[in-house]
Amino acid sequence: YGSTDKLGEQLAERRVLFMGPPGSGKTSILSVVFEDTVAYDTLGMMPTQQQAAYQMVAGITIYDFPGIDYYSETQYNPPNPAIYEGDYTSLVFVIDSQGDFQNSLATLFSVIRTAQAVNPQLPINIFINKVDSLSEELKQDVHQDMQQQVWKTMRYENLNSAYVQFFLTTIFHDDIREALSRVVQRLVPNHSSLETILNSFCSKSSLDKVFLFDVTTKIYLAMDSSPTDPQIFRFAFETLKAMDDVSQLCIEYLPPSDDGMMSQKVTFDLEGSIRVFVYQVNSYLSLLCVGSTQVIRQKSLLEFNGSKVAKAIRQILPS
Amino acid sequence: MNGLSISTKKKLVIMGRSGAGKTSMRWLIFSNYTANDTRRLGATIDVEHSMVNFMGDLNLNIWDCGGQHKYLDNYLNEQRENIFGNVEVLIYVFDLETTNKESEYQLYDDCLRNLAVFSPTAKVYCLVHKMDKIPEPEQKELTVESYRRALAKRSEMFQPDVFGTSIWDHTLYRAWSRIVYKLVPNMEIIERHLSNFRRLSDATEVVLFERETFLVVCYTAADADVPLDKYMHISQGIKSYRNACVHVQSRFQSVEVSNKFYSMFIEPFTKSTYILVITTDPEVEPAVTKANITAARPHFSDLAR
Ligand SMILES: Nc1nc2c(ncn2[C@@H]2O[C@H](COP(=O)(O)OP(=O)(O)OP(=O)(O)O)[C@@H](O)[C@H]2O)c(=O)[nH]1
Ligand SMILES: Nc1nc2c(ncn2[C@@H]2O[C@H](COP(=O)(O)OP(=O)(O)O)[C@@H](O)[C@H]2O)c(=O)[nH]1
Ligand SMILES: [Mg+2]
Repeated sequence: YGSTDKLGEQLAERRVLFMGPPGSGKTSILSVVFEDTVAYDTLGMMPTQQQAAYQMVAGITIYDFPGIDYYSETQYNPPNPAIYEGDYTSLVFVIDSQGDFQNSLATLFSVIRTAQAVNPQLPINIFINKVDSLSEELKQDVHQDMQQQVWKTMRYENLNSAYVQFFLTTIFHDDIREALSRVVQRLVPNHSSLETILNSFCSKSSLDKVFLFDVTTKIYLAMDSSPTDPQIFRFAFETLKAMDDVSQLCIEYLPPSDDGMMSQKVTFDLEGSIRVFVYQVNSYLSLLCVGSTQVIRQKSLLEFNGSKVAKAIRQILPS
Repeated sequence: MNGLSISTKKKLVIMGRSGAGKTSMRWLIFSNYTANDTRRLGATIDVEHSMVNFMGDLNLNIWDCGGQHKYLDNYLNEQRENIFGNVEVLIYVFDLETTNKESEYQLYDDCLRNLAVFSPTAKVYCLVHKMDKIPEPEQKELTVESYRRALAKRSEMFQPDVFGTSIWDHTLYRAWSRIVYKLVPNMEIIERHLSNFRRLSDATEVVLFERETFLVVCYTAADADVPLDKYMHISQGIKSYRNACVHVQSRFQSVEVSNKFYSMFIEPFTKSTYILVITTDPEVEPAVTKANITAARPHFSDLAR
């Protein structure tokens, strides 16, 4: 009954639950992505005692839970199973790739058993974290090994493995934002309409790729459905970072009491062929378009299409 | 403007114990290396020489002196004249995590003693490095201050400038911009012309960057109180973006930001520089600013070849 009382505080309808053994990197990941903490500054971080919440756009909230250790009975207070309910709930389970696998897996399965009892379709995203010190080869081995073990046990225990996904992550690399984007995308309201709009924008303006980004966390909420080279994601993140650096210089020229909607347009030119165009949708969302120089040279057409798309997105995703 | 174009060669020596971070900073500033890449560096064998062209006229002859004992002994004995002769700038890198501060200072004293003999007019900079290992800003300040006091007492003849640095943030660019600023031969002329350009084009701020390193060469702002430090994040930001562009098989060229309140351009300018122009006057169309940049280009090309 003790834990039921604790759930008195309502969780958001669209939510991501960050769980895993102590020290696997949950809080580090979230503070790097949401609070712009430098990865190195997480080294002295204290263990999480209290559940913490990070708000994102579109009402999505990410909850960081204290570490769970299956084998230590002391002070482990399992959360109320009701938190796993709902069509817009997603679980991220963070495992230290250099920690005790058996222990981590035992904890993972105890969570899955409870969760699937109330929500058999809950997406289960396993972040194999701290891969920064592993060689490329070792990374693949760890990935394979983990996947095999998880599937085997799930089959054996008759658990549903259809919604399980694996990600290799580290706080030292922007891939962590891509992994989070993939988790969060499924929770975005009207996601399929957004994708349709971006597809049509992409083809009408002959762009190579279009992303809808949450500018503060640099997590994308949607993108057009053309196949993407993973390099393009990384490049898109880097472009947004560079945009932040550059805009930082002019922060003093913004009026203090502005809503942040300043119709900003940013163009990055790369030698030869590539242009990136960032079009502001509202104070926290931007469209990032990648195209060839010729296409984006017809800037007025692009801006015209961009403004219409931005308007449609504002209607679909009210702030 | 004769005489300005005679190229100058200047010797710059980087000294410090092994593992202090000398080679890391050299790669970060003068090549397209990221901070992460430096973890793969091995100890430098003896002295690594490199020649870097800066702003067309200035050739920096960089001596990165490997800091292992066997080499240090050699520098201070047989090689002393070779190492410490004709030095324009000595950069001494202190690893703030050093376990033996006293022996570190002793080595530093030995270096300066030799410098006093062979290059008495050299300029000395001390970098207190790996500042990222100290989390709190106040503590950082205190640490640099304590080094500054200790070093001032030790090196009366050279009066070194002391900077706290880390390869993980803009502080490294800040220190190196200051170092290089003092070396560019015709800086006053460039500064004067840059501020004329700013007035003529109704811009609010104009900054000149060296093209390869993206170190700030000089700047001018309508508000005279703008500190040089303001631009250090950009040096670091553009450099890391340049690295990112490599992953899509391209090279960074320029960026343009415009919104209701300001417009900003960062563009290639002369053969050896990039220019940044910020305009806050809503009457000035971005296209006009762009045209002004183009018009000024040939003039500055003559100035800073
Ligand atoms: N945390 C941190 N590590 C750094 C910094 N700068 C360099 N390092 C690391 O320190 C290690 C040694 O760096 P090097 O640049 O090879 O040191 P060095 O002074 O050239 O050493 P020698 O060539 O033997 O004299 C590398 O692993 C770098 O990644 C810094 O600012 N912060
Ligand atoms: N090398 C490495 N260390 C990490 C990574 N993520 C987190 N850490 C470190 O792991 C330790 C525990 O992280 P923390 O976020 O407190 O774990 P939590 O208990 O799951 O919230 C900290 O010292 C982090 O710096 C990673 O990707 N790579
Ligand atoms: Mg070295």
